[in-house]
Amino acid sequence: MILFDFAYERPATAEDAVAMLARLGADARLLAGGTDLLPNMRSELLRPGVLISLNALAPEPPQVAADGSVRIDALTRLASLERSGLIREKLPMIALAARAVGSNQIREMGTLGGNLCQETRCLYLNQRHDFQFSAPCFKLGGDCCYPFPRNAPTTCWSVYMSDMAPALIALDACVEILSDAGSRRIPIEAFFTGSGLKPFNVGAAELVRTVCIPAQPAHSGWGFHKSTVRGGLEFGMAVCAVCLRMEGDGKTCAEARIALGAVRERPVRAAGAERLLQGAVLDRARLAQAAAQASKEIDPLPHHGFTRRHLMDNLKVYLRRTLEQALERAQG
Amino acid sequence: MLEATRGSRTAATKAPTQLISLCVNGEWREVAVKPRHTLVEVIRDSIGLTGTKASCESGTCGACTVLLEGRPVLGCITLAIECDGMEIRTVEGLAQGEKLSALQEAFLDQGAVQCGFCTSGMLMSATALLENHPKPDRDQINKALEGNLCRCTGYNAIVDAVLQASGQGVKPVMR
Repeated sequence: MILFDFAYERPATAEDAVAMLARLGADARLLAGGTDLLPNMRSELLRPGVLISLNALAPEPPQVAADGSVRIDALTRLASLERSGLIREKLPMIALAARAVGSNQIREMGTLGGNLCQETRCLYLNQRHDFQFSAPCFKLGGDCCYPFPRNAPTTCWSVYMSDMAPALIALDACVEILSDAGSRRIPIEAFFTGSGLKPFNVGAAELVRTVCIPAQPAHSGWGFHKSTVRGGLEFGMAVCAVCLRMEGDGKTCAEARIALGAVRERPVRAAGAERLLQGAVLDRARLAQAAAQASKEIDPLPHHGFTRRHLMDNLKVYLRRTLEQALERAQG
Repeated sequence: MLEATRGSRTAATKAPTQLISLCVNGEWREVAVKPRHTLVEVIRDSIGLTGTKASCESGTCGACTVLLEGRPVLGCITLAIECDGMEIRTVEGLAQGEKLSALQEAFLDQGAVQCGFCTSGMLMSATALLENHPKPDRDQINKALEGNLCRCTGYNAIVDAVLQASGQGVKPVMR
C-alpha cells in the first residue's frame, strides 16, 4: 500500500524515457522491477511525483560481441540471467551472483540495472520513521545521524548491498549510460561515488542501459560467495567476488581482482590484498594472508546489527575460501 | 540527499483513475485503478478474491505471491497499472471447481497448513516450481520457497507436501 498519489508514464523507448526524465527533473523516478523503489515509496523514504515505467521496453537477450565481450541489457531480469544458457556458460559468476539476490520472486521481478541502482541501507533509513524517529537524518536532508551520532553532516554511512556489483567489478565490466545527449560508457567502478548521500555517478536525466563484460583471459579463475545468516532472502554480511589470472606455469599470479560488497557505501576493491597476490606464487598461506590484509584495509561499516569486529572476521574467513575457489578454477 | 523525497506534489493531484483489464484465473475483468494501487490491493479489494494475503507489504514475506504470466511475483510491490492486459493466477485458480489440485491435496495430507496465512503464497510459488521442474529435489524446493516466510515455522511439512505432489514417494501423514 503506497500512501500518496503519483503520476505514471510508460514510454515506448529508452530515448523517450530519458527525454521525460530531463523534462521532469528530480520529481521523477524510473521504475523497472520495483523491488527496491516500491518498498522505499511505501516507507515514504522516497516520494516521487512521477514514476516512469521502463516495462514497455522488452530487454534484448545477452549477446556476445566479435571481441568475445558479453553485452547484457540492464532491463534483463535477474531470473533470466540465472537461467540464461549463454551467461551460465560464458560468465558463470554472473549467473551465481544473480541467484544469490533476494528471493525467487524478487529475482523474477528485479532487473540487473535496478540491482545496481538500489538505494543504500542502514538500520535507520529503511525503517518506517513515524513511530521511531521524527527528525530526518543527513541523507534525508536533516541534521543528525542515528546509527553514528558523532558523524558529520557531509557523510552518510549507509551501506550499498548489491550482490551483482562486486561480481561485475571483479570481471572488469563497463556500464553504458544513456542521456538525452547520447550515451557514455564508464568502467563500473567509476559508477559509484563512495558517498552514502549520493551513491551513483549518474545525472538526474540518465539511465543505465547496458552492462558490457569483457572476454575472460586464459588461465583465469573466479570465485564468488555471499556470506549470509540464513542463506536466502537477506542482504549479505559480505559479498566476495574474485578473479585471478595466472601465468602460463599455473602457479604465479599475473593479476588479481578482489571486489567486496555489503561492506561500505560502495563496492570496494581490496588493493593491498591484490598487491600481495600479484606476482607471487600462490598457496593456501598466501591466500590467507591476502584475506587477512583485505579485512584490515576495508574497515567494514557495521550494518544490520553486526559489529565491525564480526564483519572483519567474517570477511577474513569467506574471502580466503573464495580465493581458494578461484585458484582451484584457474588451475583446473 | 534523496532529491525525490522533497518532490513537489503537483503531479500527485493529477493522478487520474484509469481502466485496466486483467485476466484473473482465466476471466477478463476491467477495474479502475490509480497508479499507486498495488496488484494485491486490486485483487483483494476491487476484484474481491481474498485468498491472496497482504502481510508485510514491503516485498519480504511472500504471502501475496501470485503468478503474473506464469512467473511468481510479489503482489504488494507490483503496481496494478503495470499489469494491464496480463494474465494473473491466484490461489483461487488452482482448484477445478470442487476438486483441489494435487498440490493442495498434498498440503492437506502433510498437515502443511498451520495458521494458513502463508499458505496461498506457498501454493503459488510451489505451483510455479512444479510447472518448470516436475520432479524437484529438496534443495530446489527450498530455493523456490525461500521468498515465502512461514512464521509458524512449518517448513518441513511444506517441503514434504511439494515432494508428495510431485510423486516422489512421500507418504501422507494426516489421512
